[in-house]
Amino acid sequence: MENAPRKRIEILGPGCARCKETYRVVQNVVAKEQLPFDVEKVESMERMAELGLMATPGVAVDGKIAVSGRIPKADEIRAILAKS
Amino acid sequence: MGALGSGSSLLSRDSAESLAAPAAKGLPLWAAVLLGLGAVGCWLALYVNLSRMARWLTYTLLGLPPATHFSSAVEFLIFEVPKVMLLLTAVVFVVGIVRSYFTPERTRRILAGTSESVGLVLAAFLGVVTPFCSCSAVPLFLGFVTAGVPLGVTFSFLISAPMVNEVALVLLFGLFGWKVAAIYMTTGLVIAMASGWTIGRLGMEDQLEPWVRKVRSGGNGEPVVVLGWPRRLRFGFEALRDIVGKVWLYVVAGIAVGAAIHGWVPTNFMASFMGRNVWWGVPAVVLIGIPMYSNAAGIIPIVQALLEKGAALGTVLAFMMSVISISTPEIIILRKVLRPRLIAVFVGVVTAGILLVGFLFNALL
Repeated sequence: MENAPRKRIEILGPGCARCKETYRVVQNVVAKEQLPFDVEKVESMERMAELGLMATPGVAVDGKIAVSGRIPKADEIRAILAKS
Repeated sequence: MGALGSGSSLLSRDSAESLAAPAAKGLPLWAAVLLGLGAVGCWLALYVNLSRMARWLTYTLLGLPPATHFSSAVEFLIFEVPKVMLLLTAVVFVVGIVRSYFTPERTRRILAGTSESVGLVLAAFLGVVTPFCSCSAVPLFLGFVTAGVPLGVTFSFLISAPMVNEVALVLLFGLFGWKVAAIYMTTGLVIAMASGWTIGRLGMEDQLEPWVRKVRSGGNGEPVVVLGWPRRLRFGFEALRDIVGKVWLYVVAGIAVGAAIHGWVPTNFMASFMGRNVWWGVPAVVLIGIPMYSNAAGIIPIVQALLEKGAALGTVLAFMMSVISISTPEIIILRKVLRPRLIAVFVGVVTAGILLVGFLFNALL
């Protein structure tokens, strides 16, 4: 059951306080529910442009933007991850 | 104005949340409307009666002797703090809801589809209502440029977004009246448009870092979702908690300083070096203000103190604009996408605009 390929969650932002808070929220959800995702901080502007992100902090799941320009709530992240 | 709930949520953080929660869980419509109307009613009743309440509190409840400096300072404080906080909560809440309509993605779509001249004007106005933080300046810049928004239009937005700030607008309105607030907003928009226009005329597209020109924007950003009213209200409450929670202390401190120095610092203390007859006052404050970084709420108390002590409006306005518009951290971030010459032009044009505003108002008023 744990053998499905792990998906990638990118937390996009230049490393500001709001980005760190976003990382914490997502990391908490993934850890608490033991979801098969790798959470990763991304500070590269190129990557943000590539994804089309225009406001930080952003969350991208599997290369698709799910949240942009705000700190998401844990419930929201749970719902997003359940769908992917 | 639709300042739903702002009055009651002023009381505490918790009441903002408890109000937000039922709205999000689908309170029956009639109940939500009733709640909203009740909140607006409370807000208005409070606002209209503030000055009477302040007088009553000062002279009847506290029993302070009338016509002394101390009691008038107390009355000033009891009146100004709730007044500004009421205005602030109402505006932040409404702006929070308005902003839920203007995501950066949507603003980009609007700007990419217009001619440059219309775009310059539109971008300055959209800069006021689109949510923006200077830490997002680069992704936003890239998003605009890769979508084909002209460089000048992009800068018009990038200048107006921090410069014309709703918190500053409310505080100026509350403390100095609608004229000062209107002057601030109009000149801010004009500087943004004029700077954008100038940068557009200079044809500096070759002054972007090489990698920027190679970026192919892959996605369209956040998927467009149609938000219902409960969600939008929640945006309003979140903005309220975020912004008011962060700035209320500055506001109170600023007004307290204003009340306290009322009599102790001579009224013309600032006039000798920030008065309207000091020609070097404006360039001096702009030179100090440009590299500084502060949010609008942090700077208003200083503005209050300066004006109170005889500094000229143009000089103070120039100082405020230079502090909140361009800052060293923002320039360092933008350096990742802009070459030094374009940065220099950007800073130069905005500085020139602010100087002009300062001189103009010192000459006119």
